[in-house]
Amino acid sequence: PLLLRLSALPPHALRLQIDEDYSTSTPPNRRFRVPDVLLPDVDSRKLHLSKPKTVDGVSTVALSSDLDVVVKHDPFELTVRRAGSGNPVLSFNSHGLFDFEPLQESKPEGETWEEHFRSHTDSRPRGPQSITFDVSFHGADFVYGLPEHGSTSLALRPTRGPGVEESEPYRLFNLDVFEYLHESPFGLYGSIPFMIAHGAGASSGFFWLNAAEMQIDVLAPGWDGTASAENGRIDTLWMAEAGVVDAFFFVGSEPKDVIKQYISVTGAPSMPQQFAVAYHQCRWNYRDEEDVAGVDSGFDEHDIPYDVLWLDIEHTDGKRYFTWDRSTFPNPEEMQRKIADKGRKMVTIVDPHMKRDSGYYLHEEATAKGYYVKDASGKDYDGWCWPGASSYPDMLNPEIRDWWADKFSYQNYKGSTPTLYIWNDMNEPSVFNGPEVTMPRDIIHYGNVEHRELHNAYGYYFHMATSDGLLKRGEGKDRPFVLSRAFFAGSQRYGAVWTGDNTADWDHLKSSIPMVLTLGLTGMTFSGADIGGFFGNPEPDLLVRWYQVGAFYPFFRGHAHHDTKRREPWLFGERRTALMREAIHMRYSLLPYYYTLFKEASITGVPVMRPLWLEFPDDKETYNNGEAFMVGPSILAQGIYEEGQKSVSVYLPGKESWYDLRNGSPYKGSVSHKLEVSEDSIPSFLRAGTIVPRKDRFRRSSTQMVNDPYTLVIALNSSGAAEGELYVDDGKSYDYQQGAFIHRRFVFADNKLTSTNIAPNHPGKKEFSTECVIERIIVLGLSSRAKKAVIEPGNQEVEIELGPISLRSGSSSVAPTVRRPNVRVVDDWSVRIA
Amino acid sequence: MKLLALPLLLWIFAATAAPFSLPLETLGIAPQDEAYYRGGVIKCRNGSGKFTRDQLNDDFCDCADGTDEPGTSACPEGKFYCQNAGHSPITIFSSWVNDGICDCCDGSDEYGSNTTCKNTCWEAGKAAREKLKKKVATYKSGVVIRNQEVEKAKVAIAKDEAELTKLKGEEKILQGLVDKLKEQKRLIEKAEEEERLIKEKEEKRIKEEAEKKAAEEKKAPDASQEADSQDTNQNAQEGESKVAEHHDGHVTDNENHSPESGTSVEELDIKAGTGDDALPKEMSAVPTKEQDLTSVNSEGLSKEDLGRLVASRWTGENVDDVGKGDKKGHEDELDIPEPAEEGLEDVHDIPEPAEENYAGYHSEVEDDRHKFDDDLSNASDDEYADDHEEPDESYKSDDDHKSDSYKSDDDHKGDDHSDLTASGQASWLDKIQQTAQNVLQKFNFFKTPVDLSEASHVRKEYDDASTKLSKIQSRITTLTDKLKQDFGNEKEFYYFYDQCFEGKEGKYVYKVCPYKKASQVEGHSSTNLGRWDKFEESYRIMHFSNGDKCWNGPDRSLKVRLRCGLNNELNGVDEPSRCEYVAVLSTPALCVEEKLKELQQKLDSASSDLPGHDEL
Repeated sequence: PLLLRLSALPPHALRLQIDEDYSTSTPPNRRFRVPDVLLPDVDSRKLHLSKPKTVDGVSTVALSSDLDVVVKHDPFELTVRRAGSGNPVLSFNSHGLFDFEPLQESKPEGETWEEHFRSHTDSRPRGPQSITFDVSFHGADFVYGLPEHGSTSLALRPTRGPGVEESEPYRLFNLDVFEYLHESPFGLYGSIPFMIAHGAGASSGFFWLNAAEMQIDVLAPGWDGTASAENGRIDTLWMAEAGVVDAFFFVGSEPKDVIKQYISVTGAPSMPQQFAVAYHQCRWNYRDEEDVAGVDSGFDEHDIPYDVLWLDIEHTDGKRYFTWDRSTFPNPEEMQRKIADKGRKMVTIVDPHMKRDSGYYLHEEATAKGYYVKDASGKDYDGWCWPGASSYPDMLNPEIRDWWADKFSYQNYKGSTPTLYIWNDMNEPSVFNGPEVTMPRDIIHYGNVEHRELHNAYGYYFHMATSDGLLKRGEGKDRPFVLSRAFFAGSQRYGAVWTGDNTADWDHLKSSIPMVLTLGLTGMTFSGADIGGFFGNPEPDLLVRWYQVGAFYPFFRGHAHHDTKRREPWLFGERRTALMREAIHMRYSLLPYYYTLFKEASITGVPVMRPLWLEFPDDKETYNNGEAFMVGPSILAQGIYEEGQKSVSVYLPGKESWYDLRNGSPYKGSVSHKLEVSEDSIPSFLRAGTIVPRKDRFRRSSTQMVNDPYTLVIALNSSGAAEGELYVDDGKSYDYQQGAFIHRRFVFADNKLTSTNIAPNHPGKKEFSTECVIERIIVLGLSSRAKKAVIEPGNQEVEIELGPISLRSGSSSVAPTVRRPNVRVVDDWSVRIA
Repeated sequence: MKLLALPLLLWIFAATAAPFSLPLETLGIAPQDEAYYRGGVIKCRNGSGKFTRDQLNDDFCDCADGTDEPGTSACPEGKFYCQNAGHSPITIFSSWVNDGICDCCDGSDEYGSNTTCKNTCWEAGKAAREKLKKKVATYKSGVVIRNQEVEKAKVAIAKDEAELTKLKGEEKILQGLVDKLKEQKRLIEKAEEEERLIKEKEEKRIKEEAEKKAAEEKKAPDASQEADSQDTNQNAQEGESKVAEHHDGHVTDNENHSPESGTSVEELDIKAGTGDDALPKEMSAVPTKEQDLTSVNSEGLSKEDLGRLVASRWTGENVDDVGKGDKKGHEDELDIPEPAEEGLEDVHDIPEPAEENYAGYHSEVEDDRHKFDDDLSNASDDEYADDHEEPDESYKSDDDHKSDSYKSDDDHKGDDHSDLTASGQASWLDKIQQTAQNVLQKFNFFKTPVDLSEASHVRKEYDDASTKLSKIQSRITTLTDKLKQDFGNEKEFYYFYDQCFEGKEGKYVYKVCPYKKASQVEGHSSTNLGRWDKFEESYRIMHFSNGDKCWNGPDRSLKVRLRCGLNNELNGVDEPSRCEYVAVLSTPALCVEEKLKELQQKLDSASSDLPGHDEL
């Protein structure tokens, strides 16, 4: 027998748990429930549902004032429906595909549990224990989510049913896939078993907390032989190799609400430091201190800003992490200090595979303490990775995570300084001689948990422990920055991720957008793809395009395999250097906007980079657009994904118009525009009705921009109004949690721009202040030809003249620009166009 | 002196003590540009607009090109001039102005930030002047050496050219002789052939007669028939052995194929797995590229070897190397078991870089080529040795270089051309002509049978003459090839032609032989970093390309940056991108007089710009 538990999570979420009833069955091991993923207060927040009304084997219970849960007893079916209309939103087991293989006390005579995969054997000592069920999303046109897969489609394509030629189900199984395909349902480095459904007037989500291998089929209408007459319903089939059912149903009126609910369960993305939002330069490998110094000064010589220089595995002494190859990096502290003198940071790589070398202190310690995962025979598992024979710390164990976190202290990590941050790679985990290049499923973790049960969360725990380490190192005052390749639901709390080892071709550039958008929809907003493509040498034109697209990724890093040619942005001739510089400048000028968006994400989970339909949920044209994207509510960009492309069709959603981000030309909304493509930039637009804060002075790094003045770009809508926000804090510490930040709302209406404080009042709070002023206000779509503006308080008059949208030689003066209002961003003020 | 010192004093005072009282009308403007900024309304340099005088340096960008904000950071494309009294003035990006980092040694770029910059111009300037002085000294001596080399090169090239002309003349004569001998040889052979035919006819006639006789006598098969059948037998045997060889060929083919069939068996295995109902199997059967790539044929591999094999995909390393100590750092793994042979054979999808093989192959070819070249040049050297009253400069250096870089060549020196030694050029040519003439005249075609000793004389003469001709032709080719090279505007690189330069970097010795090739040597193994391609950047870079192939990477190449130095020294070898090497070669060839003048001027002006510094 199985136990089913239902609980309500206000306002619009339902939790369904199904496990075996261990009072009646006594398997040697219980099923695994993934710990430390849900926010600790989820249990305390849940509401006990009122007593269900049961009529004819159907129980109905109110989830909230507008939602009911209907449970049909036999056959079992659960439906979340609108209370008023009775329209279903989500349903569970509507197609009766539920199957739960109970754990057996022992292996029945004559049965074989062992499985073979190539040369590998999985002993499967606990036998079959898989779970299968179907979930239906009612009123949905498309489903999204379930990272990570290579795909050029934003929506999840059906994998089975009429019209589907042949496809495997979407697989969630964290793997280090060599040269992955840009289009495949095969699982990549991370797994988030969260699906969002959207259609006109309906948004919902389903999250299954389970870290075992999972397969999900999206079933094409008519898959079950019934006519697909029913309006807008998508059926899905979920299977996991082990674990329990711990599922969440989210109902939103808007898609953003669904994300917020998911975030309320798995946690909001952490607020990054300012530098982390800027440009990162990486390569496997910058070989030595001289190389590092050369790349660093190369950026300066070409007036290209960057904030972080990265060191890949070769910086270590024989791939022993937390060590330095002293022949190439004799003075790491000095090197970091020189970089830090320019306000820049460094990142070193720390992977989970520990070199099995008796001279390596970490290996000694982990062995002595018994901190490695064990093979089926109980010995420390001995795998193979970069250092050769390697073992893996058991990150499921909180004690081991604490131990690991301590390794990041300045005393323990010799050669580290406060401006050094961390990169976690290979944490799927990647095991070169394991099945499918990962750990065998019968490896044993803390609490006698089999690897098969937690596989998809191993990288998550590793990321968590590393992030905690940096937090400890900084005594809780320095926000950690840790990039991870593997991830699971909740990884957003610990840092950034990237889409792994992509390839330098146009298809991978194209698929990077749906991939990053999908990560954003599932909580992982701080994500990006390697600029230029990791494997292979990008054609210079591809590299330029990649910078132009990638400058919009929330996580913006150039990276390359060690077999590739150098590709620092100044190596491809003056013209291309200028183009890449401009792409990076564009990102730097938008840093205040990005930082504000990261702040929003850190509260609501609404991603920095968004599918169009997140902003325009009623516009069906946008539902499966994976080529264009929004950055926040204000900017729309369309990637260019073909070599030598001459023109592109860009659909601009909504009723309001749009303005070209570079030259201010207006474009109508709800129209597909056929545009000429220039090599200068990718098509990008400002949404009428919004205000974007910028800083238009480019420095060597974001650190030097701290005191620079702002530019406000106001894009007026048809009623001459616009609004936007600006969030500023110290860019570094947690003082913002005690109120040390500035949060302003800018509203333009009736020819007047007003700045008001929207920071909540924290009693006994810390304060943040800045002398930064606004040096320029550009107003797009202004009908007034006024030459003056009046600033209040003070009744001070300033000039308005025509100015360019961006300061670049050759840009023409097109928009009324308030010259030097010089009002402080911390103050309340208004600027009236006189 | 005093007059000049005064404004300098003021400047320093202004920069450090009163940042905001700077004269806005000159801030960040180079002295030569000050005139541009006079007047009430000033144009943006790119013609995009104009600005008033009070908009100059008002910290708001009015000209996108930065004309109006030379002294602030307001315009992204602007430039800031720092005077750097005591050192050299520089122009920096506007983005560096007031960013908290001291860029100008006089600190003038940080007038408005919280950072206080020390004026370091005097020390920096002094150091720079010292450096410049040293550089000038180097150039001075370098220019002398260079001029000598240029002169030597002129002489040597003239000599080469003269030799070439002479050789071409000799070639012509010898060619005529060879042609004649060839004709003679042909005629002799014709005569011999005719003789042979006649003889054959006669023999046939005799044989037929004998057969007739035999037939008449009605006897058992005679000896000749027996011989025939033996012949047939032999043919049959030969045929068989050919077949056998053919079979052998097949056998090897099969062997070659067998790993492939192994692979397909493996594929079948995988497919069989697909049929399994179990969840993980089903999942693992996804027929994507990843799967194919994941499907390392791991049968027969130890766990370690499998790990290495999979790692090699990312690293692009030879699997064999992985165990042996390589860039990916498995140095300590000494006791790694060698993969079983069958196992390795099975591994089809891991391309073997086989760098050593490549290197071996190339170096062999290379060696041969050199051997050949040297034979020829030695041959002519030795041949002409008597002619040269004084040793030829270029040949001498040739020898020098050989002795230190191509030791093996010594072994071949003086070999197998004894026939050409010990006689002056004129005499040997005369002699050969005379002998040939004699032989030609002596030979009597009308004498039958052909005089065999005379015929062999002709043949020998023909062989001798054509051997000599081909040697001369090789020498001509060598010289022509040499003279075809780009030796620079003043032939200053002529003496590079037969030189090799060596530099040590870590465990490798790098050997750069201009106009030939470059290599990386470690112990006995040598990797070709590229063959001579060309000079680049007006003789500032030597480019070697198409070296040994890098697995998963480009063909190796090397760019040697040249700079002025008194000795030819190779250093700074580096590999910034995989298999793309760079190095620096100091050489007098780069010590150009013009540059010396320029540096001298710079030094003079740097020193003269310091009036009364001591008085400060």
